[in-house]
Amino acid sequence: MVKLVANNLEMKFGERHIFSVDRLQLSQGQTIHLQGDNGCGKTTLMKLLAGLISPSRGAITTEGFEPLPWWRSNALLGKAVYLHQHPYLFDGSVEYNLSYPHPFCNMTKQQLSERTQTAIEMAELTHLKNQAASSLSGGEKQRLAIARAWIMQPKLLMLDEPTSNMDRFSQDLVLTMISDLQQLGTGMLISSHQSCVLTSLCNQTWVIENQHIMSSYTANNIPDSADSAPINLQEPRYVIAN
Amino acid sequence: MNEGWLALLQQALGLLFSLDPDVWSIVSVSFSVSFAALGITLLPSMILGFMLAFGRFPGRWFVTNLIQTLQSIPTVVIGLLVYLMLTRMGPLGDLRWLFTQKGMILGQMMICAPVLVAMSQAAFTSVDRRAWETSRTLGASWFRGILTVCRELKVPLLMAIVAGFSRILTEVGCSMMVGGNIADVTRNIPTAIALETSKGDFAQAIALGLVLLILSLVLNFTLGTLRGKAEPRSH
Repeated sequence: MVKLVANNLEMKFGERHIFSVDRLQLSQGQTIHLQGDNGCGKTTLMKLLAGLISPSRGAITTEGFEPLPWWRSNALLGKAVYLHQHPYLFDGSVEYNLSYPHPFCNMTKQQLSERTQTAIEMAELTHLKNQAASSLSGGEKQRLAIARAWIMQPKLLMLDEPTSNMDRFSQDLVLTMISDLQQLGTGMLISSHQSCVLTSLCNQTWVIENQHIMSSYTANNIPDSADSAPINLQEPRYVIAN
Repeated sequence: MNEGWLALLQQALGLLFSLDPDVWSIVSVSFSVSFAALGITLLPSMILGFMLAFGRFPGRWFVTNLIQTLQSIPTVVIGLLVYLMLTRMGPLGDLRWLFTQKGMILGQMMICAPVLVAMSQAAFTSVDRRAWETSRTLGASWFRGILTVCRELKVPLLMAIVAGFSRILTEVGCSMMVGGNIADVTRNIPTAIALETSKGDFAQAIALGLVLLILSLVLNFTLGTLRGKAEPRSH
């Protein structure tokens, strides 16, 4: 099982303290709802875990991944796929965007071709396959970005406000893709400041409040292992993790 | 007067289409020198532009302003500088590059580089950070990530290349001073136009001018098409 473990993490922008946390763990099999008000640092936390930015203090380590080639200096990058709130689609067709991650996947050409075909059908974008990605609507762009990640079958996936641009139809399509990844064991961190169709899949919650990250489990997902993060299902509901 | 103009134009077209060896030798010198200068300068200039856009190092502000200044220096001044470097008494005199194509290439490199660096820096500065982040989070290596960003910026980067190439292909001052305008060796299109005009041989000057004009039209229409296809990016 692969996991990302953050220890003694602190993030500041200049003098502004964003958050700090003693220990956080994102592993395969978990589906976590990341909550917090606007500007509390949800995106920053996700980018930290994705290796796109560095923490002011502390370290994030990986466990269970294949060893990196010597030229890859950043051990975190590429471990967890991060999807922006407004996903970036490369200049080119829908098909080009879906095929972009192919060289980085550990799959045969046949498997990639089949997964791409399935992804485009699941996202209901077959009729737009040859269209420029820039011409898609907000919801279609989100579906395309999630389909692109689905093809990769990542071990860890982070979705930043994934349903913010979506109507009910798009939300249902995305739910199918995300549920599928969940069943395949992909660990997920889904940020959303309010409940949505995707947060119903979550078995754990992280809340960023008062510059602290607090963790809780849903009632039917109490962890068995002794080394799990501290939890308390009684009042107060959340345990401050730092 | 009009008949005179028409006759000159006919002569000029005749020289071009009859593949006049003198005319095409000049065109060949022009293109080989300018392509060589562009080819040598392109990659280092783009890398410097990238570093100035994304890097945070001491002296960045100074280098950026120096590059901006170098863009506006007249080509004759650069010609003078290169001449002084390549003359027998100069620091590069032992190379014996004065009045050779190598000397012209060196001069054109110094003219081309600031344009390429400044325009590529502007292009890289304007890139959407999400392009880099998306590429890297999907598993691209550092090098592949850079290639992806360059692909996303293909129009502004091509514009930089075209601007740099146009500047060196059409400059007179540096080529005249460093090359010496020697027939079949260092005579390129701009120096030949200047010479033929002073001699009163307008037909050859017009023929060479047409080559530059056609090239300019082709490059700009190609860029215009690319720019037209590139749609403004929104969230």
